[in-house]
Amino acid sequence: MKQHVYESIYLSEKDFQEGRVLFETWDPNARYAWDAGVAIGRFLQGLKAGRLIGTHCPQCDRVMVPPRMFCEHCFVPADAFVPLQDTGTVVTFSLCYVTWDMERVEEPQIPAVIAIDGASRGMGILHLLGEVDPQAVKIGMRVQAVWKPEEEREGAITDILYFKPLQSPSHPITQSPSPQSKRGAK
Amino acid sequence: MSLMYRIQHLRDALAWEGEIPISNRYTMGIAGERFFREIKDNGQLLGTRCPECDLVYVPPRLYCERCFAHLEEWVEVPGTGHVHTYTIVHLDLDGNPLPEPRVLAFIRLDGSDGGLVHYLGEVEPDQVCIGMCVEPVFKDRAERRGSILDIVYFRPI
Repeated sequence: MKQHVYESIYLSEKDFQEGRVLFETWDPNARYAWDAGVAIGRFLQGLKAGRLIGTHCPQCDRVMVPPRMFCEHCFVPADAFVPLQDTGTVVTFSLCYVTWDMERVEEPQIPAVIAIDGASRGMGILHLLGEVDPQAVKIGMRVQAVWKPEEEREGAITDILYFKPLQSPSHPITQSPSPQSKRGAK
Repeated sequence: MSLMYRIQHLRDALAWEGEIPISNRYTMGIAGERFFREIKDNGQLLGTRCPECDLVYVPPRLYCERCFAHLEEWVEVPGTGHVHTYTIVHLDLDGNPLPEPRVLAFIRLDGSDGGLVHYLGEVEPDQVCIGMCVEPVFKDRAERRGSILDIVYFRPI
């Protein structure tokens, strides 16, 4: 059977603009509404009011943030919303020199997981660090939320602009021995 | 703050709203380019013919769907045809009511084994019937841009 191979055609933006190729365009209406649910809904309302909110597990006594309706360790329903502080401790962080859409930036973005004061140990949220020299960021660093002005808040995680360093000694989280050193001591 | 919290007002039900910007650009392909170029320039419908199967494809295909032969025989079809099936549409893509109901039909084209889905015009929706003979109404040549909408609609003959 005879083979038919069509010549490859590479199209540039100019080919479209100058009408050398016929095409259709379609911009689908991709609007969506994502129901935040009871726990996160309450969390977002809290952010609008300038507070962080967690939930409490009656069985293991954990205070969980972001709040959830049940404890994933005990499988029991959470029994209360608990107001938390807007300070915390850097658990882990990254210096990002590339934005989400792959643009190179001079000043790095610093996403970090921040353990929130008032919640159980290790419970925290992902946010950005600011007002800090990237080279000075350390795990265990004490930080505080910088909020948007009240009239600009909309019930979103971005109602906190970023977390900035607090001038106080490191949290005990980094001073307690790591699991490895505990085992080594035995 | 108790977990026995119940939403009392609709404004308390928090939903996160957003929009995903998506823009698609769809090229016609090799056969489609020739088909729509001919509509744009000459107001003429083209098809491709498979001599093995004696089938005329409109819209044109590059390969026969029955025997997979490469199709090189291009034929002109008159554009007239008959309503194979139709429906009356009252809502737009987003579910909003249309100002006027529109009739969409699958039109079997004369001189071919294919057909087009298109609007019917110059006819009351309750006058449309299966088997009705129709012809295409083209836009003015200057307004045509190589699209299926260069045909405004099909109207009864």
